[in-house]
Amino acid sequence: MAIVGMGGAFPNCKDLNDFKAKLFKGESLVRDWDLALAHGKNIRSTVSGFITEKEMGLEAIYSTLAENYPETYIDTLGRIPDGNLATADVGSIWAMLGTRDAIKMAGWTIRETESEKTGVVIGSGGAGHVILRTAWHNFFELKRKTRIAGSHTVDRAMVYRDAANVSCLIKNKGVCESIGSACATGLGNIGYAYRLIKFGIQDRVIAGGVEGTSLETFIGFDAMQVLSKGFKASESSRPFDTSRNGFVCSFGCGIVALEEYEAAKARGAQVLAVIDNYHNNSDGAGNMFFPSFSGQKRLWKGLFGDSAIQADVVKVHGTSTPVGDAIELLSVVDVMGEDGYQIAAPKSQFGHMLGAAGAVELITAIFMLQNQQVLPCLNSESLNPELESFQKIPEWDGPDKPLDAYRHLISRQTLAKEVNRIVCLNYGFGGTNSAMSISRNN
Amino acid sequence: MERQEIITGLIEILRTVRTIDPSKLDNVTEDTDFIADLNTPSTEMINIAAKAEQKFDVEFEDDDIDDLGSKVKDIVDLIIKTKQKI
Repeated sequence: MAIVGMGGAFPNCKDLNDFKAKLFKGESLVRDWDLALAHGKNIRSTVSGFITEKEMGLEAIYSTLAENYPETYIDTLGRIPDGNLATADVGSIWAMLGTRDAIKMAGWTIRETESEKTGVVIGSGGAGHVILRTAWHNFFELKRKTRIAGSHTVDRAMVYRDAANVSCLIKNKGVCESIGSACATGLGNIGYAYRLIKFGIQDRVIAGGVEGTSLETFIGFDAMQVLSKGFKASESSRPFDTSRNGFVCSFGCGIVALEEYEAAKARGAQVLAVIDNYHNNSDGAGNMFFPSFSGQKRLWKGLFGDSAIQADVVKVHGTSTPVGDAIELLSVVDVMGEDGYQIAAPKSQFGHMLGAAGAVELITAIFMLQNQQVLPCLNSESLNPELESFQKIPEWDGPDKPLDAYRHLISRQTLAKEVNRIVCLNYGFGGTNSAMSISRNN
Repeated sequence: MERQEIITGLIEILRTVRTIDPSKLDNVTEDTDFIADLNTPSTEMINIAAKAEQKFDVEFEDDDIDDLGSKVKDIVDLIIKTKQKI
């Protein structure tokens, strides 16, 4: 399976190339967020890898009927037709823009794009919260008529709005669906697309994940007290660091164009990376939030089966939460051993993009294959020199060394290295786990 | 309120509806059909009605909106009829 195109929306970046350059320079894309700061003491965390409308070349047209309601958007760069913008929330617009770039990079013809063998599989972690908030507020609180929020609250807020808007833009005649698996959504959609091609159902698929900038989404996590607090913006996302205290809630979009390998080669396409396999499972532990060491180990087993487990880089989920990072590092070490590979945690640079995370981070893995460099894990200053509490219980059957013993696997700077294969890992609430192995095209 | 004054106000509303080609709004008359002539998506009709309520300071009955025809004169008639009830 070939990845032949990519695109998306990235915090504080002009485009895909700018994103790539900033990542390898070791920059943080996390900023203080004015929208969060405006709520003073009512909000706990105020940093984010957010994206503004202006940064994406968009301008909101506000309704004259409902206060602060973006009735539609104008694409100031003329990339998306007005009719398509009218049915899209901001995340769906990013998905359309990313798709446009991915198809251009893939070199698909209009005939290929519009064929029955072309699918669209894109998902989002949240609903169209910005849109729903206005509709519900006007009806339930202000006691106004349903029509005040207009007739586009459904198409701009429905679960598969990103896929639907992209499909309406590119006019494909194959599958159009969304997979939802919380923070594994981005990788889950690409994995599902991989299977559609592998099983011969589609020849090519536009796939990815989106999480549109939304304070409505942010505050849910803020209330859970799982967001990073107390550091300056660029130091807030600190996977594996001893002082980590939560993730940075961020937003973005990652879109890739997948194509059956032989077909891509036959038409002379540039193959960015090859997907070796995809596997997903559930913890089966009956716990919505707590990560599962055994579930993550089974994930690896499913990904490689009877083949030797081998990777030059493990792109981890690495959110910067206290328990999540510890379990994940130990499960990777348990499977991969104590050396011979590097761990990359790109959330250290842009935070956790929720439903977009797996897709955007897959794109960062492609960057690592292209550059033969491993991205830095910013702010991982010190790892715990003592055993984690769960390592001390009798039932623990994982590594018996503290996280600090694996310091050498995690670089704080960009690292030159031969990179032929990368395993990408993402997990989500509900105990869902996803893994994809990608390799350099030979 | 004169019918032409209402039509002028409706055209101002239509210029805010991004799914309508603005070039089609130069020759709107009472016989212009929103759907057939302006290619207005049927889902936009409720947006146009809601904006007309605001612009002309009226509140349509739901049944009247359900029965509303797709020509400009239909909504002009409804605005005048609703204003007469006030």
